[in-house]
Amino acid sequence: MGKKKGKSRLGLYILLCVLPVLLIYTYVVIIPILGAMRFSLFQWSGGADMKFIGLKNYRLLFRDTEFWKAFQNNVWIALTCILGQIGIAFFFSALLSSRVIRFKAFHRVVAYFPATISAVVVGFVWSFIFNYDFGLVNAFLRAIHLEKWAKPWLDNPATIVFIISIPLIWQYIGYYMVIIMSAMTSIDPSIYEMAELDGASSLQKALRITLPLIKNSLAVAVMLCIAGNMKIFDHIYVMTNGGPGTSSMVMALQVYKTTFIKSQYGYASAMSVGILILSLSLVIISRVCITQPWRKEKDV
Amino acid sequence: MKKKRTGVLGLLGNLILCLFSFSCIFPMLWIFYSSFKTQAEFNQSSTALPQALDFTNYISVFTQTNLLTAMGNSFRNTILSVTGILILAFMAGYVLSRYRFRGRGLLYNYFTMGMLIPLHALLVPLYIQFKQMGLTNHWYTLLFPYIGFGLPISIMLVESYVKSIPRELEEAAAIDGCSFFKTMFCIVLPLASPILATVAIIQFFAVWNEFSFALILVSKDTLRTVPVGLTMFKAAYTVDYPRLMAGILVTMLPVMILYFSFSKRIIEGMTAGAVKG
Repeated sequence: MGKKKGKSRLGLYILLCVLPVLLIYTYVVIIPILGAMRFSLFQWSGGADMKFIGLKNYRLLFRDTEFWKAFQNNVWIALTCILGQIGIAFFFSALLSSRVIRFKAFHRVVAYFPATISAVVVGFVWSFIFNYDFGLVNAFLRAIHLEKWAKPWLDNPATIVFIISIPLIWQYIGYYMVIIMSAMTSIDPSIYEMAELDGASSLQKALRITLPLIKNSLAVAVMLCIAGNMKIFDHIYVMTNGGPGTSSMVMALQVYKTTFIKSQYGYASAMSVGILILSLSLVIISRVCITQPWRKEKDV
Repeated sequence: MKKKRTGVLGLLGNLILCLFSFSCIFPMLWIFYSSFKTQAEFNQSSTALPQALDFTNYISVFTQTNLLTAMGNSFRNTILSVTGILILAFMAGYVLSRYRFRGRGLLYNYFTMGMLIPLHALLVPLYIQFKQMGLTNHWYTLLFPYIGFGLPISIMLVESYVKSIPRELEEAAAIDGCSFFKTMFCIVLPLASPILATVAIIQFFAVWNEFSFALILVSKDTLRTVPVGLTMFKAAYTVDYPRLMAGILVTMLPVMILYFSFSKRIIEGMTAGAVKG
């Protein structure tokens, strides 16, 4: 009897501990997902007038070239950032693990610093840097007498996606550097010593020993990079607001504009569901593609 | 000969890293010294050092703008959200890792699934939901999304950490008649403090820097947070860059001080969370 009472009391305590989380989390994360699915079936501009139109919003979305252009921009930015962030971070980490480099701790702290600044500030700082009249890039080009290379960097639709990737890469190099370096420190140093005895060069050591041994951490980094770049919003909102025209539009910004400027709540909800599906599948596909082959290798 | 070559390569490597580190700091330095310039001075040469230490921009940031209020709001949001996340994630994480009740696995997956949800897919429905329930434009509005989106990764980190704490202490406490909540808060909590510090660090930066929710859920001037406040500030002073720079610097200072004083712990904490997540 007493034991049973104790058990039901324990059940109550457990409930008390999980219930607040369950409520807040469900209200903020799960109900909006269901909400997006529901609203996406309506033609609705925010007022009392809600018209059920079935799947018409999705049919529109499929043919919406602007949305797919935005998605394409997301993908391009993600690819540029995977190469830029992780590639450069790997290079720097390999450098930092070598004996000839001084001030290692200093480089680590300073390189990580941009990752702690808000995206809005990063956006501002880089829009100053790219500014035509007084930006640092053009000031530098003028100082070395290459005036003809000075450009209005943020106004050229052809290169804008590449240009706005630069601040993103810059901000997170330090972040990926720390991830990669912590993987590198777990490699047994005697492997390098043996390789050195066999006369391996630094480059060979980096590519033939380090790279294969840290591929799991690299896989994590790639997945983080893809997930992070699917939700990019703040930087672009501040730097170009999707412009010039719609050449640097990304999915999140387009949803924002469709909702708060065009007031197409129903269509924006369909777009939200689209984003959810697209980014979830990209994250899952990348996870499967990256981890699967190696898992098999491990089993053999 | 070989030695000479590695010497040159080493020098080059040092040089590359120094250049990169310089690029990480220089924009901030540039903003710092430019914020003392007048607008005319800045237009004349954007890179030159200021001719005199002119505090006009700072005075105007403090007296004519809402940035100080925004900082207050950001502090309040950050402190309350992080505290809320710590308490809730600790309680849920502890229970999920120690007790095998029915539905435990389901609940754990339900919570951690949130890490996969891209938050921008929820902006519109969340906005509608908050609007319909009259939850927008309150001092507590932003606490809901911040806590809700901070919980998944925090619960996961706490759960896996508590699993690694030996049970003996708790069992001894139970034999001595220590109550459920007393065991949880007086015995397990201190042991779990390293992971709670990690959670606090991750969430501190996430909440302090958050932009999208703050942009859509709060439109009252007196409730704006720093990132949104800065974009409004820019809209008001489009061409007065030195003043905008002063504003950016003032709002960044607290976080910069925090980062450079505890950088080692912060770097460890933030990346530990990322890699496990």
